Amino acid sequence: MKKKSIHDILPLELIHRIFLRVPAKHLARLRCVSKLWYSLISDPHFAEMHFHHSPTSTNACVFVEKGTVAYFVDLDALFSDNNDALQVRKVSPPFKLESPPHFEVLGSCRGFVLLHQHERFLVVWNPLTGSSKLISYSHIASRSKYKDWLPLGHHPYGFGYDTSKDDYLAVVPWQDKHGQDHFDCFSLRTNSWIDFNAALPKPLGFSDWDSSGLFFNGAIHWVPSIFNDYRDAILIFDLKERTFSMISVLEQLGTSSRIYLGLALLGGCLAFYNRGFNRVKTEIWVMKEYKVHSSWTLSDSYL
Amino acid sequence: MGSPVKKIMLCSSEKEIFSVEEQVMVQHSVIINNMIEDGSYNHEESKIPLDCVDSKTLKKVIDYCTHHTHHHNDNQEDLEAWDAQFLNVDSNGLYDLLMAANYLEIRNLLDLIYGTIKNMIKGKKIDEIRRIFNIKDHGFTPEEEEQNRKEYPHFY
Repeated sequence: MKKKSIHDILPLELIHRIFLRVPAKHLARLRCVSKLWYSLISDPHFAEMHFHHSPTSTNACVFVEKGTVAYFVDLDALFSDNNDALQVRKVSPPFKLESPPHFEVLGSCRGFVLLHQHERFLVVWNPLTGSSKLISYSHIASRSKYKDWLPLGHHPYGFGYDTSKDDYLAVVPWQDKHGQDHFDCFSLRTNSWIDFNAALPKPLGFSDWDSSGLFFNGAIHWVPSIFNDYRDAILIFDLKERTFSMISVLEQLGTSSRIYLGLALLGGCLAFYNRGFNRVKTEIWVMKEYKVHSSWTLSDSYL
Repeated sequence: MGSPVKKIMLCSSEKEIFSVEEQVMVQHSVIINNMIEDGSYNHEESKIPLDCVDSKTLKKVIDYCTHHTHHHNDNQEDLEAWDAQFLNVDSNGLYDLLMAANYLEIRNLLDLIYGTIKNMIKGKKIDEIRRIFNIKDHGFTPEEEEQNRKEYPHFY
C-alpha cells in the first residue's frame, strides 16, 4: 500500500490532540513542519489548551542581549544531566529588535510574557510557540499626561491570570493630563479594557514602583523602585477580588534608601532579595506563609 | 461462573462480523460501555457498525482490548513489551489505529498511540519529521520556508 501523508489520513482534530500532548519546548519546531501545523499551533486557544493539558510545567526564562537578540533558556534542561537537550536558543519577539532597546518586559505568567513596545502597543507573547497578540492602548494614550504613550518605568505594570474567570489580565497604571492616577486592565478573554479606578488605594501614588510585577498566588506584586520604608513595602493587586493591599518587609531593613529590593519566587513562596547600596552583600528572604509577616525567613546571604 | 460468556458483534467497514466478549469491549471502550448500559445494544439482533474501521484495524483493536483484559495483572515490563510489539506497525497502520481508538474512545490505547507519535517527533529535525509523516507539500511559500530556515537553522 502506498504510504500516505499524515495530512491525508488524520482529521485535524486528531493532529491537534497529538500536539496537545507534545511538551511545549518542541512546539516551535513543529510549527515549521507545515503550514497546517503552523496554523494549529499558532492559534491562541491552542496555547491555552496546551497549558491545561501539559503534564509537566517548563521552567524557562527569556533574556535579551543589548536589545537586539532574544534567547530562550530552558532551565529544566540546563539543570538536568541531559546534555542532548537544547538549553538556549534564539527566539524572535513579535517586533523588530532595536539597539538601544525600545521595549520593556512588564510581567509574565504561565508561559506568556507581556511586553511594551514603547509608544506603540502592548503585546502578549508566547516565546515557545511564537504566537502573540497586540493590545492597543490608544484610548488611554490620547488622555495621558505623557501625550500618546504610557509612562515608562517606575509604574506598577503587571500581567496575571484570574482563575475564577479563566482570564489573563494586563495591568496598566497611567496618569491623565491633570496628574490624576488611573488603573486599567486589559482582559484577554473579553478582548476589552476594564476601568479599575474604584480599586485605587488612595495615597498610593503610581510613580515609585518597580515596573514589572511578579505574578504569584492569583495576585501581582511590586516593590518600590527606590526603597525608603520597610512598612507597606510590597504592593499587591488581587486579580480575583480586584483590590489592592500592602505588606511590610522586615523591620530591620528600616527606612534607609540605601538598599535595592527585588521580588522572586523561591520554592513556591514569595521571596525578596535585597542588595546593599554598595552591592557587597545580597540577602534572600522568603515568606514561608503567604501574607503572614512573622513567616519571613532568611534563606541565604551572599557576600 | 458457569454462565456462558456474553458476546457482542462488531461489524467492520468491509461488513465483516467480529464476535467479542462483551466484558472485553465494555472495559476498554467508553462508547460500547455506554451502548450496553443504556440498553441500545440488543444481544439478540444488534451488530455495532464501525463504518470507519477496516477489518485489519478492528482485529488489532480487539487483540489489544482482549490482551489488556486478560493480562492486566502481568508485570508492567511484560505489558510494555507486548504494547511495543503491538504498535510495531507502519505509519498508515498507526493512523488507522488512532482513528479507531478515537472513535471507540479506548483511552489507554489512545495514550499509547499518542505516546508513540510523540516519540517519533522527539529530537527530530524538521526534514526528518516531514519524511516520517510523509509530508511532501508543506504549504509554505518558498519565501516563508527560506525565512524559517534562516531564523531557526538548528531546526533543520
